[in-house]
Amino acid sequence: MSQYTVRATPEAREAGAITLSVASLPESFGPAGDYDNAHVHAIAGHAGWTTEAARAISAGARGVVVVNPAPEDTDDLDDAAQQNGTVVVLDQRWASNPAATAAEVAVRSMAGRAAVLDVVATAPLGTDIGALIADQLAAVVRLAGPLGNLKLLDRRQNGYTATAVLANGAPVALQGIISDARPASVNITMLTDDGGARVTLPDPVAAWPATVKVTGPQGELLVPTIYESAHRTTWRRLKEHLDAGTLPSDLRQFAAVSEAIASLT
Amino acid sequence: MSSHTDATRILGVGILGAGPVTQAIHLPSLARLGHILAVRHIMDVDPTVAESVAARVGAAHSTSIDALLGDPDVDIVAICSPHQFHAEQVIAACRAGKKAVLCEKPFAMNADEAARISAVSQETAVPIIVGAMHTFDPGWIAASEDWGELPEHAHTIRSSIVLPPNARFEDFATEIITRPAGAAPDYSDPEVIKGALRGGVMGLAIHDLPLIRRFTPDFKDVEVLEARHVRPFGYVISLRTPTRSIELRAAMNNTWKPEWSFEAVSDDAALRIDFTPSYVQAGSAVATLTQGTRTTVHGPFEHNGYEGEWRELAALATGEKQPPSAQSLIDDLTFALDIAEATVTHVDTRNAVVEGARA
Repeated sequence: MSQYTVRATPEAREAGAITLSVASLPESFGPAGDYDNAHVHAIAGHAGWTTEAARAISAGARGVVVVNPAPEDTDDLDDAAQQNGTVVVLDQRWASNPAATAAEVAVRSMAGRAAVLDVVATAPLGTDIGALIADQLAAVVRLAGPLGNLKLLDRRQNGYTATAVLANGAPVALQGIISDARPASVNITMLTDDGGARVTLPDPVAAWPATVKVTGPQGELLVPTIYESAHRTTWRRLKEHLDAGTLPSDLRQFAAVSEAIASLT
Repeated sequence: MSSHTDATRILGVGILGAGPVTQAIHLPSLARLGHILAVRHIMDVDPTVAESVAARVGAAHSTSIDALLGDPDVDIVAICSPHQFHAEQVIAACRAGKKAVLCEKPFAMNADEAARISAVSQETAVPIIVGAMHTFDPGWIAASEDWGELPEHAHTIRSSIVLPPNARFEDFATEIITRPAGAAPDYSDPEVIKGALRGGVMGLAIHDLPLIRRFTPDFKDVEVLEARHVRPFGYVISLRTPTRSIELRAAMNNTWKPEWSFEAVSDDAALRIDFTPSYVQAGSAVATLTQGTRTTVHGPFEHNGYEGEWRELAALATGEKQPPSAQSLIDDLTFALDIAEATVTHVDTRNAVVEGARA
């Protein structure tokens, strides 16, 4: 059993609840005594994060955690990670939720016969609309794959409305709502002719479980709940890749999100 | 939540049109209200249907509107005929001096008809209500007494409807005769899509448009951002006014699982109402109202909005309650018509752009 040492920027530590996540995986991670030679570098995903992550790789990091990455071109960073065998994982608000794996299977298995996909993201007052759009798209692209004809219809102080289509031509409706009256979350509903999938991914500020429900002619299945935040899941994934010597596909998947967001602006 | 009337005698009901809605919704609702209302007359253009449905409740039957309106046992008239007949029948019922009129939505097909109805209602003093059943649902009414300033401050409103085939719930409510045959539309035809969207607004969305209007003070400035058809029948329509984002979703498919919700959200308060399916007597909606960190749940109550309509009619007929303002009914109608029209115009514009791009 390895223990990987961790260094984190103050912004990343705050945004990613890194102290809590690392403390909840005490056999796997620990604080870096030798800060400069920490195995894992955690950075915040504000503008320029790909450059910062590339610097961490050059400095010898074996793993890089990026908290809430903003849309950026990740091609060069991906190349650097591949060449150096560095594990770069992205800690995303909703897309990194541990239930996303089961939700992806549920949604994609019925995407070919989808009649409509409805996605509603809710976030508290003060949330940056651009960041909310990015978080929502990261979640929906993770679950449903790339969207076609993505277009922002309306953007205002308290939300936005966007439209797109699935590969089979079914309409996709995306809405963002800014309010303190509801828990921050994204709700993804795909309907088919005889059922559908309903996914609610909560914010990672607590280990609230996501819900993934699949409805078909036989009834409705609630996928087992997982009481683990997206932050902790990210660190656990990092550990698994570090131990196995494998590289995740986070950066390649994120490229699709960045591309989608670029098409909106 | 009850609004029991103190009527000294049971009020007689006459129903124009004896199709599935009458059979599966109104007759079961009235069966629960035998202490205040009794069906006295059923009219349908199909004499066999009229006789059969009337026999279920021991009522007279006819194929003539005049016969029903001339029946002195009929105090309250319910108009459940096809949409295009509503206006004339509402006016005729008012002129016949009945005590109250229920008209299924929409109560008119254009603003002119609505204005004529309003004038006749004022002239005859016959109260009219439109069968927007959710506005009579005890869950909605309880929420309305508790939601404070949310209608003034909501910035986002959503109506989501997922419905199994009507027959699934009709068969839980009654034994239907003469179910209308459905045809398979040609969705490659843009006119069919436009018709489906217009029908979706005026036949399905219209159930909750009065609720949406309640939360949209600037409803006259509604604009369609996007309108798309959902197969086999449904819609995704994005609307906005200067102060509101409004999303309409509906899908009628072959699922067993219904969902019918209304949501209104402001910066610091949110309302979600989950309605029970039509047809079945499954009690009221449940309203969940969140204000700050406090969440209040209203319901479920024992009766639904359809029964609420009939309780309201009985109260109107006896003078126990005052009717809604005609202007409110007209505003509800014009709001629906405006959205239907703007939806079709939006589709036309989009099709023209696509055709232009191909040329």
